[in-house]
Amino acid sequence: MSALQSPARGRAGGFVDWIGAAAQRRRAVTEALVDTFASWGYEYLATPLVEPLETVAAGVGGGLQTQLFRFMDADGSLLALVGERTVSVARVVATQLQGSPPPLRLCYAGPVLFNRAPLGGRRREAMQAGCELIGHPGLAADAECIAVAAAALERAGIAGVQIDVGHADFVPSLLDSANLDAASRARVAEALRARDLVAVEEALRGTEAGDAERELLLAFPTLRGGREILDTAGSRITAPRPRRVLADLAELWTVLDRHGITASVHLDLGAVRDWDYYTGPTFELFSADLGWPLGTGGRYDRLLEAFGAGAPATGFVLHVDRCCDALLRGAGENGGAPVLRLGYAAEQAREALTVASRLRGAGVAVALDLEPSVLRPGEPLGDGRAHLDGGGFRWRLRGREGGGLDALLAASAEDAG
Amino acid sequence: MTGGLRIALPAGALFEDACRLLAAAGVAEIDPARLDRQLSLVTRSATVVKVRPTDVPVYVEMGACDAGIVGKDILWESPRDCYELVDLRFGACRLVLAAPEGSPLTRGSFPRSLRAATKYPVAARRHFDSMGLAVELIKLHGSVELAPAMGLADCVVDITASGRTLTANHLVEVAEAGRSTARLISNQASLKTRSGAVNQLAAALRRTVMGVDIGPGSAPPARGGRSAP
Repeated sequence: MSALQSPARGRAGGFVDWIGAAAQRRRAVTEALVDTFASWGYEYLATPLVEPLETVAAGVGGGLQTQLFRFMDADGSLLALVGERTVSVARVVATQLQGSPPPLRLCYAGPVLFNRAPLGGRRREAMQAGCELIGHPGLAADAECIAVAAAALERAGIAGVQIDVGHADFVPSLLDSANLDAASRARVAEALRARDLVAVEEALRGTEAGDAERELLLAFPTLRGGREILDTAGSRITAPRPRRVLADLAELWTVLDRHGITASVHLDLGAVRDWDYYTGPTFELFSADLGWPLGTGGRYDRLLEAFGAGAPATGFVLHVDRCCDALLRGAGENGGAPVLRLGYAAEQAREALTVASRLRGAGVAVALDLEPSVLRPGEPLGDGRAHLDGGGFRWRLRGREGGGLDALLAASAEDAG
Repeated sequence: MTGGLRIALPAGALFEDACRLLAAAGVAEIDPARLDRQLSLVTRSATVVKVRPTDVPVYVEMGACDAGIVGKDILWESPRDCYELVDLRFGACRLVLAAPEGSPLTRGSFPRSLRAATKYPVAARRHFDSMGLAVELIKLHGSVELAPAMGLADCVVDITASGRTLTANHLVEVAEAGRSTARLISNQASLKTRSGAVNQLAAALRRTVMGVDIGPGSAPPARGGRSAP
């Protein structure tokens, strides 16, 4: 059968094969993120790709349910491929890990899937890595999550990350103190959720909303900045609930300052997030090179109740594929280790295996030729090649070349350092 | 002042007004004829590209452009993860439900089974849902007004600016299903990572449409709103 006739060459729309440098980068980024999580004491866990639909529905963005791959179990109940993994972690915490002394620090990495129409430019499978810090209600936990996320992106090689910190209760508390009737409040909230500021303005027009609240709700894309923005907003607000939010953010800022990361933090009072899910501080991480957030997170104190084991919780997810895109666009690079291809003369076949083994032990990736070969005296070696024969061991790697195994080990140790 | 923002403009009816607005607001002086030929133009203050109206939200959502100008009618049909920042007030048009003269629909009587032809299935569906009507929608790509005359549909849901095309095809407006004007939209990350430039762009355009007539086809005078935040 000719290749063109083969029925097996199709690939589902919106899915990607990761090959070569892209595959290597994706793995390296995932590992850098998970290694960082581990170094902060977050225990890795792996949850299934499939969850009952009702479990998934308890999680963030119940509205995203229409974008899940759904199918039927043998007993007729509905299953879904996970679209995010926090809900799976919450299920594990509420069941197998129930009774563990808090706080629990857990992390994960794995694919998530979305059944959205292909051709929209958005992939349907994405790699996500994240942390959940469960059982602590305080801002120290929120600050730690932000710091871990920032450290992980830095370790993955992404430079110039900007962290926008908001609070899930700021806009709702402003709406509640704005003297709006229920219908107008719902319209404004819906417009904010849809990120439609024109509709926000329309919905507020002709309402009794107080001037301070109206002005803040309308100005919301500009409600960003450093610590000083809290004072600016605070001077205009008298209602206790939004003022409590501002006080929380001021304290959070102090803790973030202790972590030494406020230089890349913006406070964003107008942050639009899933207000039904998040209950406290929220954050998003951006790179100047990408039109999407690299990661999002926040406090979600109500989720575990849905599993019958209420506990305060905060966490975040990082989008590995977006991180890879940001790296490609030039926000730094995660130098994957090159592979040294080792050739050898027939008489040195056994010795070549020993040399390869020693190099691998020293952290140099080695692919051994499957057939012996002859390297003529004076014949140049390509980069990433080495050859072993009766005349000795010659190599060329990352533009450097030399003779002898020890010199190569020294050079690669120097590169690694 | 808008520091090298990438801005997507819609080809077609809104294009010249969009260029005039950018010039009037002091964002970028663009010669529409030049942008016609080369599709993208780099000025001191911005990079401007011209794309199909339906593609503007795609460029902006994916981050290929920081901001874009597009009709609200386009946003109805393909909602994207963008911020909608300013009502630019030009390019005003309405989405209406229209039926042939003499149809029971024009007397407010809606039969059980109804077929409607439209280029705007999402907005049409929303309108019929709000009326509690189960209508069979037929998506067309043009000349929607022809469908009732040829027996393809009982009514149409279509955009009208003056109503002339409806009248010429013996169609009568039955209900308004939506109002559209041009909007400034922004990428979600650009609003955060280039917030200064994006907010300045929004403020400049808002000031301009509030106070200055931008030429033919522009919207009615300011509705007594507030100035930029």
